[in-house]
Amino acid sequence: MRARHINSILLASVLLLAACSGRYIGTPRAAMLDYQTNSTYGSLYALATAQAESINAALKADTLHPGMYAEYGVALALMGHDGEACRMLNSEAKAFPESRRMVRRIKERLLPAMVDDTLAGQRDTADMLKLQNWAYDSLAALRPLPWVAAVIDSTDTLRVMQQTPVDSVEYPIRLTANQKRELLAEEQQKEELRRKEIEDSIAAAKQAKIDARNQAKIDKKKAKKEKEKAKKEAEKKKKEAAKEKARQRELEKQRKAEERKARQQQQKQQQELQKQQQKQQQEQQKQLQKQQQEQQKQQQELQKQQQEQQQQEQEEDKQ
Amino acid sequence: MKKSIFILVMLPLLMLGCKGEKKLARYNEMYQQEPSVIYVAPLNDLSMRRAVRETEDSVYNASLNIASRQLYLTATDPLTSHGYYVLGPLASAQLAATETRTGRQLRNESINDLYTDLGIDAVLFIDLLNWSHTYNSWSVEAEYVLRSTTTGIELLHVHVNATKILPTDYKGNPKPLKDDLEFAKQYGCDLETAQRCRLVEIMNKYVLKDLPAGKRARKHEAEQYAKPHPEYFNLRIHRDGSVEQLKDEEL
Repeated sequence: MRARHINSILLASVLLLAACSGRYIGTPRAAMLDYQTNSTYGSLYALATAQAESINAALKADTLHPGMYAEYGVALALMGHDGEACRMLNSEAKAFPESRRMVRRIKERLLPAMVDDTLAGQRDTADMLKLQNWAYDSLAALRPLPWVAAVIDSTDTLRVMQQTPVDSVEYPIRLTANQKRELLAEEQQKEELRRKEIEDSIAAAKQAKIDARNQAKIDKKKAKKEKEKAKKEAEKKKKEAAKEKARQRELEKQRKAEERKARQQQQKQQQELQKQQQKQQQEQQKQLQKQQQEQQKQQQELQKQQQEQQQQEQEEDKQ
Repeated sequence: MKKSIFILVMLPLLMLGCKGEKKLARYNEMYQQEPSVIYVAPLNDLSMRRAVRETEDSVYNASLNIASRQLYLTATDPLTSHGYYVLGPLASAQLAATETRTGRQLRNESINDLYTDLGIDAVLFIDLLNWSHTYNSWSVEAEYVLRSTTTGIELLHVHVNATKILPTDYKGNPKPLKDDLEFAKQYGCDLETAQRCRLVEIMNKYVLKDLPAGKRARKHEAEQYAKPHPEYFNLRIHRDGSVEQLKDEEL
């Protein structure tokens, strides 16, 4: 019994090492690309973690996409977590009934013992709440220490043993009870250290993310302020330019009005001059006419006088 | 009088001619069948790789391999956001592993059993045809075929040639885009791979977003009178990530 425990602890440490070797990548797609190019247990673990986080975020934001549970379920099945995988695949069938037959086919391939467990029917609110709780549970199951415990306690150990290369595991032979205890204590210490390292690295990554977000927010605020300032300045400049334009327009208007006035005055003066000239001409003409009339009268008088004289002479002659 | 009659006759004809084809006409079968479950078949990579002679060749080949995987991985997102049910790549790979037919058989023979056994309405086949690269441009050529499982008809058949042209500095060296640098940083790959991956991602989004929205999507009916993409077209991806559709001569 004890030998079995030691074996399982050794296996767990091997799996933890494998998990630690996988580079942790944030988004499921990045993790998927990493897994596709470098399909190790570590990259699969990173992929499953990213998928669990994305499901968690999607449930919080109510933006669950089709295929999210199925992807996570397949990842868990490939890691050897049959129970969790079955639950996730069932939740996919529950959330999206059109996927039921596909889920069944996947189960036939990965989890042949659990094919009959596939859920069916329409989803409702209570089911969705259950799914949510399952997602949280599965997240908890993926955390390092309980996950190791799950591996040790569950019947998945055999499956994991089948998947791990035999050369990578060293089996202790004929150990005394003290040696076994020491080994166990050492392994536990190592596990704790590794767990702390993982937790620290996760915390550091989270802190870095938070810092980056804060920095981004500050940068955004600064950029906004700068933009606003620039806008205000631009508006001021525009207003000033508009004012100057308005001034120039007024000046031009005034100048034009003055010009018009001057022209009108000149025209008036010219008209007056013309009128005066016309009057003078008319007066001159009248005077000339009068003079001519007087001359004509004088001539007529002279003629009359001459005629009278002639008549007188004629009469005198007659006499 | 004669002129006005001529104009009155010709104007509506011209207007009808300018209107062009609508999505309702192009994707008539799709609107009739209304598929909701799409299965993305494994990528058919027909592009050439360099013969491995030096270390650079293997790096180049690895870059192409990663980009082709990215092409397959990013094909699901535009479809799911467009209202279709699509399984992710990991689950699709499990389904593909149970398939006994070859890719050619799936393309040409009856696939009605995928509907009866798995409930899949249509299968999307992506053929990666060619990669090309100059000092400041990255190109990829691909063909997308969406085949109905019930009738076997091709609901979509598009041939795309997407090109990303990078801006150059005063010496003529290409300047990497900000998105590419971020991608390389996030995915932990080299810049060349990042540029190819981003290119295929944008191409997938542009091509698959043209499909009519799924029957669960809000814009399913509103989109019917939008203009679809042609069956053969070239894309140019600009510095700001915007995509422009070009004629053959312009590329």
